[in-house]
Amino acid sequence: MAMWKEFSKGLWAELPPFRLLLGLCPTLAVTTTAENGFGMGMAVVFVITLSSFIVSLIRKIIPKKVRIACYITVAASLVVSVELLMQAYAYPLYQQLGIFVPLIVVNCLILGRAEAFAGKNPVHLAVADGLGMGIGFTLSLTFLGAVRELFGTGYVFGVEILSGSFEPVEFMIAAPGAFVALGLILAGMNYLSIVKAKRRGEPAPENPSTGCHACRACAGHK
Amino acid sequence: MREILKMIVVLTCISGISGFALSSLKQMTAPTIELQLLTFVQGPSLKQVLPDYTNDPVQERKKFTNPLTDKPVNVFPLKVDGELKAVAIEGFGGGYGDNIGVMVGFDLEDNKLVGIGITTMKETPGLGTRIAEPDFRAQFNGISESEAKLKSQGGVIDALSGATISSGGTVAAVQDAGKIYSALKADILEAFK
Repeated sequence: MAMWKEFSKGLWAELPPFRLLLGLCPTLAVTTTAENGFGMGMAVVFVITLSSFIVSLIRKIIPKKVRIACYITVAASLVVSVELLMQAYAYPLYQQLGIFVPLIVVNCLILGRAEAFAGKNPVHLAVADGLGMGIGFTLSLTFLGAVRELFGTGYVFGVEILSGSFEPVEFMIAAPGAFVALGLILAGMNYLSIVKAKRRGEPAPENPSTGCHACRACAGHK
Repeated sequence: MREILKMIVVLTCISGISGFALSSLKQMTAPTIELQLLTFVQGPSLKQVLPDYTNDPVQERKKFTNPLTDKPVNVFPLKVDGELKAVAIEGFGGGYGDNIGVMVGFDLEDNKLVGIGITTMKETPGLGTRIAEPDFRAQFNGISESEAKLKSQGGVIDALSGATISSGGTVAAVQDAGKIYSALKADILEAFK
């Protein structure tokens, strides 16, 4: 039960790119197509699950003062492994993702989960947390990629969806389109949060002011 | 003191294990990665060198040792209907961003260039990347190695306006491949007889 709780929080309540707004660099950069988003997501799932596992495994022998260096070493090794494996078995994807594969090392999601969760919790919970966060990240990237690909080209996963009189909005697959799509998705999620809160009879979260609580992500749980 | 010692030992161990694991993984994946590069990078460039070859040059490639650098170099035979038309060799030249890799085809009879194809480059999109366009590449078809220089260097190649360095890098890569070809010609003839 505890494992399920840690796993499922990454899928909605703490959905990394859309709720925590962590790991935005690859989220915005590689999501020109659904397939690229999915590929990037899978690489992150691999890295974050194994890094959570290893960090949690060695958390008791890591001295407090050098823990960040240890976490980064673990994450960096895993990322290089992913890079090598991708070159060996999925070269076209590697060509597409380019520099963003090695940049997974500095994805704050990886280090964030190691520091905030895996470094303090037992192995099975850390793995559940990493897997949940990774899958949430993948779903978000695939969704964002699919939205941009659909409006930018009319295709999703290379399958034609909109055809005929549809005029592709090329803006959507360019860099600014990523910001617009992300903004609209965030607005949509906030709207959903308000509707959900109202249905439960709770007061709707107030309009954004300054400070952390302005984000409606944690409006549900005090 | 004990604490500092522990920090050093733990961090050293983690880094050491990581380094060891990565170097073995690199060795394990090296042959597969080379094959992927051949299929996805060098293979397609061969089509630009001589579009109508009918054999499988990647399968039939032979490895030689470059006598100038002592490094291994792949030579790809390009055949039309079983007859050896040309061999392709990859050369490198400094571009605007990193080295430009150029696959150069040589006619074994008269040593002239049959064509070139770009394998790898990190040139400025829209400017330097125009070296991969057919118009620029076609200038190399049928000329000799000594002619394959920019006009300012006494050759026949028109540099792309706004991309002189990328054009120069391509020429340097062609010259590089030409040097390898000249040095290996006797061995190549022997091997592909």
